[in-house]
Amino acid sequence: MKRTVLTCVALLALLSSLWLFGNNYVLHIATMVVIMAPMALSLNIMMKLGQLSIAQPAFMGIGAYGAALLTMRLGVPPLLSMLAGATIAAAMAAISGPVFLRIKGVYFVLLTYAFSQVVNLVFQEWVSLFGGNSGLYGIPKFSLFGFRLTQVHHYFALGLVFTALTYTAMRAIERSDIGAIFESLNENEMLSRSLGSNALAWRTAAYTFSAFVAGVAGAIYAFYIGFLSPDPFGFRASVDLIVINAVGGVNLVLGPMLGSLFIVPLPELLRDAREYQLLVYGVCLMVFVVFLKQGLVSLFQSPKKGVRA
Amino acid sequence: MFEQILVNGLLAGLIYVIMALGFTLIFGIMRIVNFAHGEFYMLGAVVVLVLFGQMGWPFFMAVIAGGVVSGLLGLVLERLLFRRIVGDEMAGMIMSLAIGIILQSVALIVFGPAEQTVTRPFSGTWSLGGAMVPWDRTIVALCALAIIVVFYIFLKFSRLGLAMQAVAQDPDTSSLMGVESGSVYAASFSIACVLAGLGGALMAPIYTIGPYMGELPMLKAFVVVILGGLGSLPGAVAGGLLIGLSESVLATHLDATAALIASFVIVLLVVITRPTGLMGRSVR
Repeated sequence: MKRTVLTCVALLALLSSLWLFGNNYVLHIATMVVIMAPMALSLNIMMKLGQLSIAQPAFMGIGAYGAALLTMRLGVPPLLSMLAGATIAAAMAAISGPVFLRIKGVYFVLLTYAFSQVVNLVFQEWVSLFGGNSGLYGIPKFSLFGFRLTQVHHYFALGLVFTALTYTAMRAIERSDIGAIFESLNENEMLSRSLGSNALAWRTAAYTFSAFVAGVAGAIYAFYIGFLSPDPFGFRASVDLIVINAVGGVNLVLGPMLGSLFIVPLPELLRDAREYQLLVYGVCLMVFVVFLKQGLVSLFQSPKKGVRA
Repeated sequence: MFEQILVNGLLAGLIYVIMALGFTLIFGIMRIVNFAHGEFYMLGAVVVLVLFGQMGWPFFMAVIAGGVVSGLLGLVLERLLFRRIVGDEMAGMIMSLAIGIILQSVALIVFGPAEQTVTRPFSGTWSLGGAMVPWDRTIVALCALAIIVVFYIFLKFSRLGLAMQAVAQDPDTSSLMGVESGSVYAASFSIACVLAGLGGALMAPIYTIGPYMGELPMLKAFVVVILGGLGSLPGAVAGGLLIGLSESVLATHLDATAALIASFVIVLLVVITRPTGLMGRSVR
């Protein structure tokens, strides 16, 4: 526990040093880290339930396009449209959840895969609304109570606040009775249901929450970048999120946070050797699956907890 | 018109069947969703590109070499990596994703991102009823058919084939009966890779060759296998032909994107209403 607190403090120190000393380029990468971290957390919720969802980037996309279009076309204040975009994503999860989440394991992966492909194809083909493959331009900047966020570090702060909120919420859920129910659903669903937990309802709740988080992350992304195309919300984004979780570690909420910190900057570090990016990525993933199944976070855990392995 | 749609659908479907058979074999026996399956297809095509296109080997020798290289790589990967994580579905998926990424990136480093072509070993067309059938496609389809038949005979009549079926049905009982599951895992993984490699090698002269060429066939195998039932071999054959035919119909009457969306919607509906696919058994 003490170690976890220490790591949090170290993370915060690292992040704030970025703010103080980083140039815009470093800040941009840091901003992408704090946008991807909640995404990784949103996948983490589903992975903890034993259901690998490929739909998270689709929810991110729905949040992003939803928020951007509400502000651009209808002039809704950005904060409201951000929440509205995320709510649309959450609503889609709440509607599809009771159908999707009956299905387990590989079939759930295939199902969410097909769902996200359909969403992505709609983004690509409905050109009049979503701008198609050439993209949606001219998304206005985010503003909060009359203050316009124009600089990179504004968005970094926004992302950081949201990441911290998500992290805290997930920690709180994990420690609460609800967390215990989630764990029991993953460990032994029959037993859990026999003790009276409504498995499908809890799964749907978790799925809806994860979609909301992904939607907000998408909206922040949309306002930050100012341009949207279907590409960042495709299958590759799902692979990225899986890599982040595998590298960081799924068991603890800190895992995906650490994972994003290591994985998101990786393409930037390998900018000069573009072809080797993918290779490093794949090798990382493989090494972690084979040798460090619990992820980076297991290095910080006290050995007592290692019984699970 | 009708004959043409039928012929196009069958020609495409046979290759889907080959991809889907390997994919479903690996899942049926090892419970691993092999996301790297498309990369073994790519490997087969690359071998043909090098041996037939650049070194002038006879086409069929190069195709067989493509299958062998792909199968050997599969064998090595199974021994070194996949064996460790049999039974852990999530780890299996992540592992195969990693291998897919690595194979793609190696191809990218060695051959660059540009798409390459191989000169077609056969040309011309012949007519069947009212349909014009290109010769190269016909040869591919005949080879695919032969591969499927050989695979079927192997499964039904060889000791190893029977052992594979036994492990797929019930790993515990079959190991009690003296089937060595380790060698069955190795054999089925590499046979599946041989199938994917042969598929890629056969298609090499027809499509362009590049690091990402495996993604679409992989996607198709996915769709086929969901439709037919994950782990079901007859399902893979039926699903492959069904997808080939329905794509051919949809692509003629709608545009390609609408056809793609339609096929995904069909998949969604099938998984929701009948999660084990048209011919799948219920999950243990």
